[in-house]
Amino acid sequence: MNVLKKLKYALMTNLIGKPYLRIERKKSEKKIAKLFNPDSPLNPPLKITAYTKEFVSSHYFKGRYIEGVKPVAWVTSGAPIEILKALGFFLIYPENHAALCGARKVQMDLIKTAEKEGLSNNVCSYVRTDIGSLLSGRTPAGKLPKPDLLLACSNICQTVLHWYRMLEKHLNIPLVIIDTPFVYNEIEPHQVEYVKKQLLHSLLPVAEKIAKKSLKEKELKKVIKFSKDATELWLEILNLCKEKPSPLTVFDQFVFMAPIVEMRGDRETVDYYNEMYKEVKSKVNTRKGALKRERRRLLWDNLPIWFKMRELAVKMAERGISIPISTYTYAWGELAPLMDLKKDEFEVIAKVYLSPILNRGTGHKLNTMVKMVKEFKLDGVILHSDRSCKPYSMGQMDQRNRLIEEFKIPAMLLEADQNDENAYSEEQIAIRIESFFEMLGVSYG
Amino acid sequence: MAAHSMVYLKGMINLKKRSEIIKKFKAEGGQIAAIAPYHYPKALFRAFNILPVELWGPPKLNTLESKSHIQTYICSVVHSILTFHLKGNLSVCDYILIPHTCDSLQGLGSIFLDFIKPEQKAFTLYIPRGRRQVDIDFLSKEIEKIYNELQKATGTTPDKNELNHHIETEEQAVSMVKKLIKNRAYLNTDDYTFYKTIRSKEYLPAEDFIEIAEEFYKTYKIDTPLNKKPVILSGLLPEPMEILNVINEKDGLVAGDDFATTGRRLYPKSEGQNPFVRMAKSIVHSPPDSSRGDSVEARLNHLIHITEKTGAKGVIFFIVKFCEMEYFYLPHLRKGLSEKGIKSIVIDTDINDELSQQTITRIEVFMETLK
Repeated sequence: MNVLKKLKYALMTNLIGKPYLRIERKKSEKKIAKLFNPDSPLNPPLKITAYTKEFVSSHYFKGRYIEGVKPVAWVTSGAPIEILKALGFFLIYPENHAALCGARKVQMDLIKTAEKEGLSNNVCSYVRTDIGSLLSGRTPAGKLPKPDLLLACSNICQTVLHWYRMLEKHLNIPLVIIDTPFVYNEIEPHQVEYVKKQLLHSLLPVAEKIAKKSLKEKELKKVIKFSKDATELWLEILNLCKEKPSPLTVFDQFVFMAPIVEMRGDRETVDYYNEMYKEVKSKVNTRKGALKRERRRLLWDNLPIWFKMRELAVKMAERGISIPISTYTYAWGELAPLMDLKKDEFEVIAKVYLSPILNRGTGHKLNTMVKMVKEFKLDGVILHSDRSCKPYSMGQMDQRNRLIEEFKIPAMLLEADQNDENAYSEEQIAIRIESFFEMLGVSYG
Repeated sequence: MAAHSMVYLKGMINLKKRSEIIKKFKAEGGQIAAIAPYHYPKALFRAFNILPVELWGPPKLNTLESKSHIQTYICSVVHSILTFHLKGNLSVCDYILIPHTCDSLQGLGSIFLDFIKPEQKAFTLYIPRGRRQVDIDFLSKEIEKIYNELQKATGTTPDKNELNHHIETEEQAVSMVKKLIKNRAYLNTDDYTFYKTIRSKEYLPAEDFIEIAEEFYKTYKIDTPLNKKPVILSGLLPEPMEILNVINEKDGLVAGDDFATTGRRLYPKSEGQNPFVRMAKSIVHSPPDSSRGDSVEARLNHLIHITEKTGAKGVIFFIVKFCEMEYFYLPHLRKGLSEKGIKSIVIDTDINDELSQQTITRIEVFMETLK
């Protein structure tokens, strides 16, 4: 059975998938070239945009045929995946899948499906999107492979614990929870010990049993090295956005961050970011910005509004507003220095996964924002108050007030949602953005 | 609201007001800790002569002040706690503890530490989301950390015996709540009085609570069970408490609950000599609970167990609006209950609002469908 599945996988991915996606990439490249519009406030996107689509699509394409070939795990975005990767797991990220649905604007039908089944509209819209997809079988990815294991890590929110409990119930497969205590101030030794013990005694035995093999230290080190290299490259790419004009906007980054979330730990991901680094660096060298005219530079806080990305990007660009960086995209790079390859791997993983910005206090986030404003030479901050993401959004009102009053940095709160269009008021957002533009001195009027 | 059913004996137990208790405790040299929901080691505070007073809101508050710090899509319990503090009502307290119960209380704890910066010493406590040995080990260290902080703050060092003494007293108080809930059908009083009494544990010293609970039991105990329709409540807390009157008026009786205030804190007795481990074990082994991230199966089996034990044919999920952790489980719990022939209803509430006529009607209709 497995031999047949392996053959099918090889046939479909290498002989059909690869050439097909390559053709699609060529088409995309042509489409991107045609996108060049002298009247557009945006410069043409990076060439690597077409490859990004191919790269991410190939992951989902492989997923269609992976069952029976490799063990499959569905994991949260902040899960310590290096252990699973080293054991040969194929990974799917339901959060990324929900974001993909939002970006492709197919999420509302899925949300309705989940709500019809009794899930409250007060539950995170990623969850409603993903559960709607699970219940209906509809996905822009074609088909998601059925997992053998669920892995939820609480370092991004408590929501994922409940979400994965629901998946556990639906799929009737093992769930491992890695509980990462919230870091109000500094990381403490007993917190590291707690996470490390869970990795060793909760995750490892279950994962090894499913993978039918033992974890090899050499393999784990290799995966951590790939994670570290990709994360460092991502950080370097983002740091290039400190230049004026910024070679990328946050709207580009939201798309380019997909591999660092769902394919970190792979050699190909390191290659991908190497390529991207070269292209972004060349843009910096030729002083070619993402916008044709960069008048003001802002920081974006929190998740994107996936279903409004293009509209917001254009709206901002029309006024010369560049958003070179966000706390969210930067979060995927800033942990790179913690990945110390000389130390005990499990201790390193424990520390890294305790440290994401979402697992740190509101004061830490304010300090991060202030530092970013200075380093990226920004003129203000947009804080997306995301109804679906309470842990990211709580504290924003005080953060905004401190930015304005204490640090004299213009800041605006934008009430919306990452995936639920019902929580997005076109008119109100337009008014708020317009007022903020006025404050920044980039109003049409 | 119409009068309660005349079957019940009402209001014979004299409960002192929270403010009087606090005043008396302070006058006798004790200190006060305000505690946000909902798992925490009560005995630890008592060993330092600190009375923990729980903050479940308070309800029916105009939460204008909190709205300049937290968004309107955060639950009313969190808004009320913050508003209560910003109005200066926590000035009587010497300490504030905000356990990590959910994303919203995590945010509140963080805002308190980083931006609000109250005059009182503020603590947080991470409650682990598992029931493994590793979770007990971690929680006992968290508890020990608070012990060290309190030691510094008070200059006192309660020894193992003192801690164990308070653990046992608190366990006795929990046993009394268990006894009252177990005998609910044999207590001839209305649910409002019943819950007022058992919830007084949220602010009374355990010794006083045990005394009142014993007196309550003696006063209302009858030999034959009340001939009422038993129903189970689930959620965070029975607020607005008028819901209890609506149930009673429809000939119903709250025969058991899965509330964070009560049913989810019926901790098992602990064993061993290390007081930190004992306190941690009790919390880790609490009944199935959304805030602990328990499985659907565990919560469903627990609810089925309560309904079977009490003969209840219905469950009312009384959910504080925006409480995400409660919402998640509802489709599965309701389906599982339905398969067992148990009806259920979901009521969204805001602890600061009055019970709406629409809600009253929905509960009334639901009660009428129970046989």
